[in-house]
Amino acid sequence: MTPRLHPFTTLTLAVCAAVVTTAAAYWPLSVAVALAAVILAARHGIAGRVLTAGAVILTPLCLSLLVLHGLFFPEGQTVLAQWGPARVTAEGLGFALELGTRTTACVLVFLLFSFTVSVPDLVSALAGRRIPPQFGFVLASTLTLLPAVAGRLDRIRQAQETRGMVGGRGLLSRLGTLRLQMVPLVLALIDDAGSRAQALDARGFGSPGPRTSYREVADPPAQRLFRAAALVFAAAAVAGRIMASWPAGAAS
Amino acid sequence: MSQPALTIIAPGQAAGRRRRLLEIAGAAAIAATYIFLVLTQPADIANGPASFSALVALGGFLLGAVLLIAAVLPALPTSTVVLIPVALVLNVVLGQLMGSTGLPFYIDAIGTVLIAVLAGPAAGAATGALCSIVWSFFNPTVLPFAAGAALIGFLAGMAARGGLFRRFYLAPVAGFVTGILAGVVSAPIAAFVFGGTSGLGTGAIVSAFRAMGDTLLAAITKQALISDPMDKAIVFTIAALLAYALPRRTTFQFPFVRRYRVLAGKAPAAPDA
Repeated sequence: MTPRLHPFTTLTLAVCAAVVTTAAAYWPLSVAVALAAVILAARHGIAGRVLTAGAVILTPLCLSLLVLHGLFFPEGQTVLAQWGPARVTAEGLGFALELGTRTTACVLVFLLFSFTVSVPDLVSALAGRRIPPQFGFVLASTLTLLPAVAGRLDRIRQAQETRGMVGGRGLLSRLGTLRLQMVPLVLALIDDAGSRAQALDARGFGSPGPRTSYREVADPPAQRLFRAAALVFAAAAVAGRIMASWPAGAAS
Repeated sequence: MSQPALTIIAPGQAAGRRRRLLEIAGAAAIAATYIFLVLTQPADIANGPASFSALVALGGFLLGAVLLIAAVLPALPTSTVVLIPVALVLNVVLGQLMGSTGLPFYIDAIGTVLIAVLAGPAAGAATGALCSIVWSFFNPTVLPFAAGAALIGFLAGMAARGGLFRRFYLAPVAGFVTGILAGVVSAPIAAFVFGGTSGLGTGAIVSAFRAMGDTLLAAITKQALISDPMDKAIVFTIAALLAYALPRRTTFQFPFVRRYRVLAGKAPAAPDA
């Protein structure tokens, strides 16, 4: 396939797609963006992961939008059906459709970015810019810590179960078992962080000045140009939306 | 070779002033965005999807959060920076554990509040904002709430500095007040960016207020005033219980805890220096 895209190029693309979709507020465009994200994910072989993660986030959100605006939209004029206080209005359903597709498009685009980006590349790209090096550390450290903590929590649970921890039915006993797992986990993590801080300080983590990286991420001029063009396009979309909506916003 | 050591004092002061300006600019961006959204919302919401307000909310709140991170993060000591990933992991893991008990709250800020109690308001604010940004790698919908998360961390740190964690009954009160402020600030995001709330339970409460004829922002603000203070009172209580369940040797190694006497009780006799 084509050479790897710089992490900033994919990030810029994701941000611009989300901004333009939000600014346009036109549901066919939102659907098109969401479909494009799914097709790109399929080409990278991660459609299953993106769609699963997206469904977990979006299903409650879209259902809640449908119930909220589909049944209760006091501003709606065209009433399609009515049961007591609940009125199904065309405007409400349209509003739910617009917001649902817009959020779906933005979520899928960002999930596509985060599932395709190489975290080491992103961290070294961040270190090369004028971004505080601590930010790269927090990002990389969290992404490596999460799986480790899941394993540690499992070991804590097993250890406490061998000492006689039994999960009961009542709320109090469940909170009790929770305490038996939470306190050792928090203590271990904070203790680890303390020794990590000393090790990092010994290697000059806290000292000011520029950092170098072993890892070089190629950033061809063509991609820089493309990023600039995409940002200008997104800014134009935002400016267009502000010009179009300002009187409506300021009139009140 | 000796240049960095010689020139470090003067830029240090200039950098401090620059950071203070960034902090003020960040807080001002968040406050101005909120005021602007509340003043311009009624006509906008009826005219269709609040795309203009969504852009303003996203731009203003994210700008504020980024400015706060840029101001606070380089000034934090390493011992605090390494705690930020821990806070995020705790937010996620403890949130899931609490979810397994079946309580109807989205308890997702325990780590942030715990770090704010141990390391202070600045660390709390940076932790809250950074947690939202990093967590958005898995769930992009939390990204717009970065400013609200930063506010929770900051207020938790201020409550700890004020000694509200020294009495067990004051921690939930501090959480309640924090929940009111954080809920009100986050309401425009929920209203204009997502058009409601993400959960079905909270969505039902919003629907009830909408059925009474409230505007969307008013309905969501009222819903936030019902669920957020309760939620944050629980989060603050759990964070306080955890802070006291940890050994003294661990909690008193934090300069913030020693300096402002955040936790009740005496410091351990022999400081581990």
